[in-house]
Amino acid sequence: MATTHRINDLDAKALWLRRQLWDMVMAAKNGHIPSCYSCTEIATALYYGGVVRYTPGKADDPTRDRVVISKGHAAMVLYPILADIGYFDAAELDRFTKPGGLLGMYADLRIPGIEGISGSLGHGLGMGAGFALAARHNDESHRTFVVLGDGECYEGSIWETAMFAAHHKLDNLVAVVDRNALCILGRTEELVALGDLRAKWQAFGWHSVEVDGHSFDGVLGAFDLIGRTGGKPLAIIANTVKGKGISFMEGRSEWHNKMPNAEQMAKARTELGLV
Amino acid sequence: MDAAVKPRLMRDVVIEAICAAARKDKDILFISADLGAVALDDLRRDLPNQFIHAGIAEQHMIDLAAGLALSGKKVFCYAMAPFITARCYEQIKCVISSMNLPVTLIAVGVGLGYDHATLTHFTPEDIACMRALNGIEVLTPSDEVMAAAIVYIALSSPAFRYLRLDRQVFPRLYGDDAMRVLEIGFGIVRPGKDVAILACGALVHKALAAAEILAAQGVSAGVVDIVRVKPFDGAALAGALKGYRSILTVEEQLLEGAMGSAVMEALVDATGKLDWRLKRLGMRDRFEVVNGDRDHLHSLYGIDTPDIVRAAQALANG
Ligand SMILES: Cc1ncc(C[n+]2csc(CCOP(=O)(O)OP(=O)(O)O)c2C)c(N)n1
Repeated sequence: MATTHRINDLDAKALWLRRQLWDMVMAAKNGHIPSCYSCTEIATALYYGGVVRYTPGKADDPTRDRVVISKGHAAMVLYPILADIGYFDAAELDRFTKPGGLLGMYADLRIPGIEGISGSLGHGLGMGAGFALAARHNDESHRTFVVLGDGECYEGSIWETAMFAAHHKLDNLVAVVDRNALCILGRTEELVALGDLRAKWQAFGWHSVEVDGHSFDGVLGAFDLIGRTGGKPLAIIANTVKGKGISFMEGRSEWHNKMPNAEQMAKARTELGLV
Repeated sequence: MDAAVKPRLMRDVVIEAICAAARKDKDILFISADLGAVALDDLRRDLPNQFIHAGIAEQHMIDLAAGLALSGKKVFCYAMAPFITARCYEQIKCVISSMNLPVTLIAVGVGLGYDHATLTHFTPEDIACMRALNGIEVLTPSDEVMAAAIVYIALSSPAFRYLRLDRQVFPRLYGDDAMRVLEIGFGIVRPGKDVAILACGALVHKALAAAEILAAQGVSAGVVDIVRVKPFDGAALAGALKGYRSILTVEEQLLEGAMGSAVMEALVDATGKLDWRLKRLGMRDRFEVVNGDRDHLHSLYGIDTPDIVRAAQALANG
């Protein structure tokens, strides 16, 4: 099982992850950089911050914690990590979306370490509750982590599961809401206000906390609460910036699925320290 | 239609037409479940009271549309194809269909249009599931001119309609004849004698390419663009296909219940017998997640131009 790293190692890992994702998306000319960069620290903390329990090289270890990136357009945030922990050959990263390649735009069950298909928003938490309930049935101690988009929280299915998970006291289930306050057409609070998500999850019976989603202190502190919630499922509202790390993409919805031009590409590479 | 003008995205043409009409009629409302378009930016800017963001909440979007339609509004709902069909199918059935409300459902990226996004974004079943709905009209344009003709009808006589838009830009097939073709429900986009290739949407263009190859091989293939899948005039089609020996349908759908089924059913119902050699080409059940663009997928699923050529040859030589 993986061990905990120090925060500065984690910062380096997050930068490494952003660089890997950049190269993959630019080679494929396809993918959602801002959505991935929004949850880069969350993914990094999960796998390199000693949160997720896994066995390197053994994706099917039944004792592993389950991780679901429910905002499936950002599921690729896990690909470099899953290769790094030996689930599949890192050469697959170069074949992202290519015919014959393992890794697609959206994650699916072909890929070791991916627990379910994604791409349609609003399914991951329900599946996650299924994993959590099954663990309880089987008397297993693995936990399930589900990363949700805040825009995804518009889907009613999220709240159907929220109610269910609280009722069944699924304290082995963690929802991380990537609260970047953007979806495709603009700012969530201007389109249909999501409001105080911490209070909403709490009202649905979850132990709910709000943290800075780009701070490892914040994110790891929240994950520390697992098992200490008085039997409640844990909701972490992670305040984030969509496109974090690329100045001209940060907080701008129009970049959701746009490719940069040559000049912007050069600027981004400089900001990522790729040159 | 000026051939020199570059073909455009169907969605922009459709939304522009809705926007133009909405400027004169404040009862026209446009609801998006977080899908955009260049033309939508204008509508949002100029007519903020007639644009509604439903949230990424397709089921809610449909129920909301029903309430608005029951209050006299002419409603256009807009989302990616998988999410405006299967995701909210029960809402469409229970409120829009069951009350026969004048709501137009505009789907973008039908079939395998969202190629790299794979199975969750594909709609290999949308024709079958939508045409199964009580009272619906199913329209599937293969170019932007036909898309504009359809939206003209949707604006002038609002009804329960499902409009299937491609997310790709295609060469224009129609000009002034679009409205007449729409009235009949299908258009003969290439005349022929031996095999009639029936297609819709994106695959009309592959069928045309196939017909070209077939001509060089000595097979005269006609191409029929099936624009309105439901309701469908089987008698008119039977009449139009009288001179052919064979009919080949080809589509970017699972075969069960899709356009090929609709056409065969209509021919049977209209004529009581089928006098042609027949073949349906479509996607196999249990197709899998694979990487690749739309052409790659067509080839993999056996619905690409060479597959159409082969199937037509087999019919012609049989
Ligand atoms: C059910 C469903 N509806 C619509 C979409 C199209 N879509 C993909 S990403 C996205 C925006 C998601 O926003 P959010 O969940 O906040 O994620 P982020 O902003 O972090 O990318 C939408 C509408 C989808 N994938 N699934």
